[in-house]
Amino acid sequence: MSKKEKVKYKEKINWKKEVSLLPGYVIVLIWIVFTAAFLIWILGASLSTTKEIFSGAVFKFESGFHWENYANAWVGNDVASYFMNSLLYSVVSCTCVILISAPAAYVLSRFTFLGNKPIKTSLILAMSIPEVMIIMPIYALTAELHIRGRILLILLYIFIRVPFTTTYLLNFFASLSRSYEEAAAIDGCTPAKTFWKIMLPLVQPAIITVTIFNFLSVWNEFFMALIFASSTDTMPVGVGLLQIVNSMRYTGDYGGLFAAVIIVFLPTFLLYIFLSEKIIAGVTGGGVKG
Amino acid sequence: MKKNKGFIICFTLPCVLTLLIMYLYPVIRTVVMSFFGIESVTADFSDWTFNGVDNYLRLFGSATYIRAMQNMLLIWVIGGIATLSIGLLFAVILTSGIRFKKFFRAAIYLPNVISAVALATMWIQYVYNQDYGMLTRILGFFGITGINWLGTDLKFWAMLIAFVFGAVGYYMLIFISGIERIPSDLYEAATIDGANKVQQFASITLPLLKSIFKTNITFWSVNCITFFLWSRMFSSVSTEASTVVPVVYLYDVVFGTKGNVQRDAGAGAAIGVTLAIFVALVYFITNRLIKDDDLEF
Repeated sequence: MSKKEKVKYKEKINWKKEVSLLPGYVIVLIWIVFTAAFLIWILGASLSTTKEIFSGAVFKFESGFHWENYANAWVGNDVASYFMNSLLYSVVSCTCVILISAPAAYVLSRFTFLGNKPIKTSLILAMSIPEVMIIMPIYALTAELHIRGRILLILLYIFIRVPFTTTYLLNFFASLSRSYEEAAAIDGCTPAKTFWKIMLPLVQPAIITVTIFNFLSVWNEFFMALIFASSTDTMPVGVGLLQIVNSMRYTGDYGGLFAAVIIVFLPTFLLYIFLSEKIIAGVTGGGVKG
Repeated sequence: MKKNKGFIICFTLPCVLTLLIMYLYPVIRTVVMSFFGIESVTADFSDWTFNGVDNYLRLFGSATYIRAMQNMLLIWVIGGIATLSIGLLFAVILTSGIRFKKFFRAAIYLPNVISAVALATMWIQYVYNQDYGMLTRILGFFGITGINWLGTDLKFWAMLIAFVFGAVGYYMLIFISGIERIPSDLYEAATIDGANKVQQFASITLPLLKSIFKTNITFWSVNCITFFLWSRMFSSVSTEASTVVPVVYLYDVVFGTKGNVQRDAGAGAAIGVTLAIFVALVYFITNRLIKDDDLEF
């Protein structure tokens, strides 16, 4: 069945139209081939020795695949520690953000009360405030309160994602039918229980999308991590990689460097391969205001 | 309704507290700090000395900061024109009825989801490498050799190209969503009247994308004032004049670890305020210049 459809589809190629689109194909393909070439080269280099990289023999693999580059990077260059930190930061902060934002988004979108409008406006304003405007007082405040180490970065990542997450969820809660709450109220369900048991599960798709965005953002965050992760044990992958690049000058282990690059970019890359449609729909849905 | 009151407060309180602690208080304190002479960012309030607009005057009298602002404006103008036009070009190509649209779109957006540190490392250590780099090879094929992409002269442009490459995908997505909202009967009518593709683009697509341009210009401006990572990666040892940008300068005077830089948290706060005002101005001006209330479709 599917084969037959395929044949029929092929017959419909309008060559005249395809030829008129040719310049478009060429431009897009050049861009994509360039992207692919450099990703594949990095992958090849991560499995080669430094000598092979410099002699331009990356894809010959004359001395075999050097998987030990990955082992060296993982253990020797502390990538394991950076990776686990990033994982901890992203998982904990993504969960906590939802716990703060979902209830707030629910109440803000479905109840009218004094201060509702100002809070919504402040959330949008907060999203457009550049980090440089808040970083110094936060630094002073956390130093004064003696908050430091991993917990500090987790807290900051939670707070920094709250405005976006809440605003994103607002529309989804607003679009739900009132009859759910009415039915729950008649059955004697408290508002809080209605939220956790009925309303929250209904917006699950939106929560998944916003969590993907939060994960990508926290995983790739660099500026705050550079300022607040002062010791090697608390560094996430971004700052860790910078550390590796800087120490390269002394070690000269290029294979290990490229292996580290691959390890850092693989989690978000894999996530993207499986969820690209959802991510792209989320970007255009959240980015454009009518 | 009374029962609901406690519930509403419980549910919104964490969010409101976040706004107050993470945004309201720091913004006010940063603005106040910018009018005081403060050496260390953790200095007690009693150590602050009021000095009016001195911080701002000192900043604009500093050669490094002027250079940083110039670099930022170059990135904003030239990088902006490049990113938005390439993004628009791709958006037009991908919405022209091309095959494999979804794959192309996903591939062009890809650099936006991978860690920018990894991306910058790939550019610096591979594409621009003088021994085995991709550009060196390609140019060598055409007989051009000996270009040091990471030398003082070309470093800024090398950084800008890499940055634009990573940024294009996002703006492309926004343009695509704008183009897809334009009703197709407009194009059909234009085709019947004999307008070619270029005329259609100039008289239908561009005017109807006005509000999308406004969105993209605002996003791009925010992106430019927070420009930090790429500059840091391209001069990772110490700040260099060729790649310095305001946030790098701020990082050096506030959190810098090198001995030769005078600590100056007051100046840092003034930089933050200057940048915020820059974005607000851009937003205000684009809103004035591009009015979208006359469009209806």
